Amino acid sequence: MATAPLSRFPKRNCAISTPDSVLFFLAPALPASRSTPRSSISRFSTSSSQWARDNNKNRGVSAVRATGLRKRQTLHVTVDDLPIPIPKEKFTTKIPVDEDHALWGFFNKEKRLLATPEEDAAHGRAWTVQELRQKSWEDLHSLWWVCVKDRNRLATEQIIRDTRKLGYGAYESDTRDQTIRATQRAIRHTLTERWYTWEEARKAARSDPEIDLNAAVGEAYVPMDYDLEIESDPPEAEVEAETVEPEIVEEQPESERSENRSRKERRAAREVVA
Amino acid sequence: MVRFGRKEVYLPNAVIALMKSEHLPATHAKFRVPLTFSKLDLRDYLYHAYGLRTDKIRSYVQQQRVQHDRPDATMPQQNKWFRPKAIKHMTVEMDKPFLWPEDPDNWEPWSKEIFNELQQNANDRDKPATRVKAAKMEGDTLATQARELLEGKKRWRRTPVDEEAVEVDSDVKI
Repeated sequence: MATAPLSRFPKRNCAISTPDSVLFFLAPALPASRSTPRSSISRFSTSSSQWARDNNKNRGVSAVRATGLRKRQTLHVTVDDLPIPIPKEKFTTKIPVDEDHALWGFFNKEKRLLATPEEDAAHGRAWTVQELRQKSWEDLHSLWWVCVKDRNRLATEQIIRDTRKLGYGAYESDTRDQTIRATQRAIRHTLTERWYTWEEARKAARSDPEIDLNAAVGEAYVPMDYDLEIESDPPEAEVEAETVEPEIVEEQPESERSENRSRKERRAAREVVA
Repeated sequence: MVRFGRKEVYLPNAVIALMKSEHLPATHAKFRVPLTFSKLDLRDYLYHAYGLRTDKIRSYVQQQRVQHDRPDATMPQQNKWFRPKAIKHMTVEMDKPFLWPEDPDNWEPWSKEIFNELQQNANDRDKPATRVKAAKMEGDTLATQARELLEGKKRWRRTPVDEEAVEVDSDVKI
């Protein structure tokens, strides 16, 4: 059995042995003796303050508190042995970036960090609804995606400009963004219009005798024979028409117009159905 | 293998922004997305818009600090509180690394020098030290002028006042 060194045993505190401190709580009115050490009354720890040393060589040395080494402490390595870290500026491990990386889509075509305010301001007005009415769905859809990507680029650049305080250009960026949004709104407007046109055409087709909405694809429109209508007219009327020229000359255009209108409607409905 | 959603969105309205994230590996990219976005939304969006395939996405919502009154208030009140909308960030993992482009050589197109100067002036304007400095400069100038007058280096001159108004073309008969 290992015997503890003598120094590990505390020297008995003599505070208890003094009679003054024993009598203090028995007769609190009496003034406490000044000779009693204050620490003997209020000390929390049961350990004696008489400890000279706890034989812990690393007492007070902490890596967490960055106290450093104690006096005359030696380590296996010296400061000179330590490797010197490479500064960040000289750390030149090149990471190859693809020329066609998908994230280049968030930058301008020249793959620069920021587009200049001049470049951002180099744009015209937004597309108008009138112009977009002429465009096909494919055109409108691709234009929409161009708008979406450009807005993403502007948002990316705006964050760079804000966080790093890189100067002016926010106004140009905002103006461009507003223009793009106007274009997008016009696209939506055009498509909404188209949808209502389709809906109206469908309603018209329901009451049209030439169109069968339940038919197979491509067979919905069965045009009536116009020649039969014209031939069914009585021949006497034609003779009368020839005799009375001026009146019928006025009437003919009207009838043609009405026929044309109905044909146009039918044609539009047929296109829509097809 | 990456799977995609089946809901077809023809006209997406979301705006997402790529953010610089130097503390992350080069194969990671950070985005600022709308609050309504989910990871699945971002995955489909990135693939269909940019052709970027990602299957690992992590997201967090950054709550914003409370501030006095709305940012557009002309006279912000101290007893009114306003919290800006939270910001959602998403980090995606990619197959290929990506590095941001270098900074431009000069910031002349962005007028950065003027910008910095004006920013500095705006920051200093309300500081008490600036007012003290301005007052001291004014006092020094006055003291110098007084000393020069007393020493006879300069002569007292009346401050030039605008001449009295003279009616022009008074001789013209109307």
